[in-house]
Amino acid sequence: MSVFCSPPAFSGLTALAMYLLTCEMSTSPSAGLLAAAFMGITPGYISRSVAGSYDNEAIAIFLLVFTFYLWIKAVKNGSIMWGALTALFYGYMVSAWGGYVFITNLIPLHVFVLICMGRYSSRTYIAYTTWYALGTLGSMQIPFVGFLPIRNSDHMSALGVFGLIQLVAFADFIRGFLPGKQFQKLLTSMILLIVGLGFGGLILLSVSGVIAPWSGRFYSLWDTGYAKIHIPIIASVSEHQPTAWPAFFFDLNFLIWLFPAGVFLCFQKLKDEHVFVIIYAVLSSYFAGVMVRLMLTLTPIVCVAAGLALSGVLDQFLVMSKPTAETKAKANAKDSKAYGKMSSPVVGIYSYFSKAFVSGSMTLYLLMFVAHCTWVTSNAYSSPSVVLASRLPDGSQHIIDDYREAYYWLRQNTPDNAKIMSWWDYGYQIGGMADRPTLVDNNTWNNTHIATVGKAMSSREEVSYPILRQHDVDYVLVVFGGLLGYSGDDLNKFLWMVRIAEGIWPDEIKERDFFTARGEYRVDDEATPTMKNSLMYKMSYYNYQSLFPPGQAVDRVRGTKVPTESPTLDTMEEAFTSENWIIRIFKVKDLDNLGRDHSNAVAFDKGLKRKRAAKRKGPRVLRTE
Amino acid sequence: MRFFTATVLGLLAPSLAAASSFTAPTQLAVPADFKPPQVFKNVNLVRNTNLEKGYVRETINVVVENVDKQPQSDYYIPFPSDVFGRVGGFEVRDKKATENGRFEVEVTEPVVSTGNQYFVVHLAEPLAPKAQITLGISYSVLSALSPRPATIGQSDKQYLTYSFSAYVPSAYQTVTQKTKLKFPSTDVPDFTETSGLKSGADPERKGATYTYGPYETTQVAPGTEQPITVRYQFTNPVISISLLERDLEVSHWGGNLATEERYWLRNNASQLTNQFSRVEWTFASYQKAPSSAVREIAYPLQPGSVDPYFIDDIGNVSTSRYRPGNGKTAANLELKPRYPIFGGWNYSFKVGWNNDLSGFLRRATGVDSYVLKVPFLQGPKMSEGVQYEHVVLRVVLPEGAHNVRFETVEGANSNGLPGMSQVNASLSTFKTYMDTLGRTTLTLEVDSLTDEARDAQLVVTYDHTFMDAFRKPLTIFGGLLTFFVAIWFLGSIDTSIKKR
Repeated sequence: MSVFCSPPAFSGLTALAMYLLTCEMSTSPSAGLLAAAFMGITPGYISRSVAGSYDNEAIAIFLLVFTFYLWIKAVKNGSIMWGALTALFYGYMVSAWGGYVFITNLIPLHVFVLICMGRYSSRTYIAYTTWYALGTLGSMQIPFVGFLPIRNSDHMSALGVFGLIQLVAFADFIRGFLPGKQFQKLLTSMILLIVGLGFGGLILLSVSGVIAPWSGRFYSLWDTGYAKIHIPIIASVSEHQPTAWPAFFFDLNFLIWLFPAGVFLCFQKLKDEHVFVIIYAVLSSYFAGVMVRLMLTLTPIVCVAAGLALSGVLDQFLVMSKPTAETKAKANAKDSKAYGKMSSPVVGIYSYFSKAFVSGSMTLYLLMFVAHCTWVTSNAYSSPSVVLASRLPDGSQHIIDDYREAYYWLRQNTPDNAKIMSWWDYGYQIGGMADRPTLVDNNTWNNTHIATVGKAMSSREEVSYPILRQHDVDYVLVVFGGLLGYSGDDLNKFLWMVRIAEGIWPDEIKERDFFTARGEYRVDDEATPTMKNSLMYKMSYYNYQSLFPPGQAVDRVRGTKVPTESPTLDTMEEAFTSENWIIRIFKVKDLDNLGRDHSNAVAFDKGLKRKRAAKRKGPRVLRTE
Repeated sequence: MRFFTATVLGLLAPSLAAASSFTAPTQLAVPADFKPPQVFKNVNLVRNTNLEKGYVRETINVVVENVDKQPQSDYYIPFPSDVFGRVGGFEVRDKKATENGRFEVEVTEPVVSTGNQYFVVHLAEPLAPKAQITLGISYSVLSALSPRPATIGQSDKQYLTYSFSAYVPSAYQTVTQKTKLKFPSTDVPDFTETSGLKSGADPERKGATYTYGPYETTQVAPGTEQPITVRYQFTNPVISISLLERDLEVSHWGGNLATEERYWLRNNASQLTNQFSRVEWTFASYQKAPSSAVREIAYPLQPGSVDPYFIDDIGNVSTSRYRPGNGKTAANLELKPRYPIFGGWNYSFKVGWNNDLSGFLRRATGVDSYVLKVPFLQGPKMSEGVQYEHVVLRVVLPEGAHNVRFETVEGANSNGLPGMSQVNASLSTFKTYMDTLGRTTLTLEVDSLTDEARDAQLVVTYDHTFMDAFRKPLTIFGGLLTFFVAIWFLGSIDTSIKKR
């Protein structure tokens, strides 16, 4: 229950943090309220914070926003307390989400830009050094992070800016004692020396391996094609794909066009905190374009900017003020000077019509936004991914519950320690619902292990069986949508398994072998032998043909006919298939009692003669091949 | 508060102890070479064995004569001690006067020398010498049927075997006896044919009924075995509930009777030779072929039952349907397990619903005493029968209920329950939200029940005074009042340093 309710609870905290953050940006009280309201319902964040979808990202976004709020406070006040608080929440963020690197780089960037703008002040120095020292110490307490902050390139910018700010502070200090000319000389020589030393040191350390290279996920942020080639496991996740344009509107609705307006307003004021908003906006817009998932980091700043923009509009248009006598008089005075007796225009918006029109249309947009958010939340983000709901022709709801059917079967009818092999997407589901150990799960840090599963799935049975035995696999689970037309099945993910396996065993698995000569990915009669012999293909279509009249078996996902003959499985047997065939579970056979290999044993059971025996009886022939 | 609770519990304790029925079932101690005194003779014995369901239901009608010189009242009925634990709903009545209710029955410890364990029937009045009485003994035996072959194909017919002795086990000499077997169908491929026990064919076959005997067994020593094995078709699941936890929660304030039942179900039918094949199952379901798998569980509820739910460890089971019935007729809950339950497969689940309390609770006139009448067991209604290895029934009464007594309703016919001396009853308290004392909970534990007990009714009487009913609201009111007063008091303290 507590797990169930924590995302909405954190969502509430996020709204509070958003209010505080936006209030720092604007003097208008409505900006904060609007931003908090936007944050509360925008689909970009709701997707992670609906009750029941336990995801650390719901917590992470709260921490992100709150850390930034504290940081702004620290920069504004130049207070050690606020800096220390920033570090504290930064530490929490590090323990919660791998995306903490975003903060690690954004805050130094903010400071760097401030320095470049000539806005260095002791407040910045205090805030940054406090945050960096305490925050880095805090983050190093997390076992997953350890010494990364001083060794990993992802963290180098924070360290660099820390060094820079010391120099700047030193220079600032010296300036008070030296005359201008000498100071200029000293400054130039020092900059040259430091830059040279620092750059040389960085190269030396990188080459010698003390500083780890940038992590793969980071590279894929700059080169969108990088992941597909070098780290297929990252590219295989649909959330890591580049964002499509409609997704921005889908997740943010009218905030997306208020967003530039808000950023523009920040340029107009351009205090320290507005610089922060601008940097954040630019960076996260880029990131959100690269990966769908990073829409999550864009959402907070969009809410801030939209809140600023909308509050600016509403503050202007919702006030029913008449031009005061003073302004009138001023205008008149001006006029009379310039043009003599002409009637005097008063600058400002005072017409009731235009006020009503603008505020009315804004209200309309807000209402549409609420309607949109409700619709998206109920349609796209509230349905659990394991239960597929559809409507029958008579309008009644029909629920396709194959996942849970199979998982509960596993839970009830297999030994407690039965090990399940499946593609990693289903690892946590099997762990949670079937209560059985799995070979790989959604914690994807062990790429080799996942590649092993990919290899087992994409190899011939003779190759796969030893892998399965080595890993003590009892059951293999595959997802097959062919009967129902469920497109998220394993055969559609199969190429990723092949690619990931190929990354580790390029000699044994080749993606090219799974495509026909014309470069098509086919599963019907034309499929390549490698494809037809792969374990995944065999398990998916095993016995599927017998459900149809002869020769008419159809795969509804790939929209093709399936070969007439069912594939044969020697080393496994079908253990369970769910009602709509979405989940198929196969039991790995034990070693044969008589020491035969499985293909011989199966052939014997079918009453086929052993091939070698047949040869021996016949006349001797020379080997022709 | 703790002091208060302690004192109230202290006051409650004597009244709880006073309730006579809260004793654990005890077994009579017997010597290691115990043999029942040979004071009776079975003049005529007819045993009816019903094999139509997934368990064995036997009724024995026996004419008993006292051959002793003294009036006798203790009649012993033996069972091998491994079977004894699986005998459920044991009941003995006077066949001539069934409306007088059951005789009191006690059980003995296992007797080491013979390997038997006895039910001791205490006749209501001692039987005079030479006098006769007709006893109607009924019981069911759980897990006595074993599938042969033990593994079958998915759409094959299933056969069960049942082994018993042609001579009915008895502690006394029996003059004539016979056994009638009732099979579910005429498909009985194997059965033992006896020779030399009687003249003519044995058994006599008539449709689905086979009769062994009558035998003249005056010369046969009591306890002699004459093994018989029959094997018959039973292409149905053998549904066995290894544990049923049934909770009934009474809420006076809400006027609600909430029921929740947790089942640990297992199908004891033949296991599958090969693994499960979905193709075969799809075609079999399409043809509605009989199968040894549990496809659906029909669960009748009383009229007026609302808010039913059917969940298991991983959430709502979407494949259920509730037909509420039109007021008077029984509501029906049709449960479809997530997957067909084949032989050897398990399925555990939870069902629950609510009822209006007014249909179950009556206030005794004048005093603060209430009478609650609820079904002892509800459970699925399946043509192939359901057996329950262990049933734990909890009746959660309102907070502060005391002087709790219970009984089951006895009619002219068997209600499927064993005598109350075989029921393990206890009182405890159960705490949920905002409870101060905890709710008085009556727990009844019974072994080896069958769905014959579906009609059994449990009557619980308890006292619940006005003060008991208002304890919770008053406690909450007092707590909030204390809180507000404290806040007011703290707020009114002037902590400022400035001089007044």
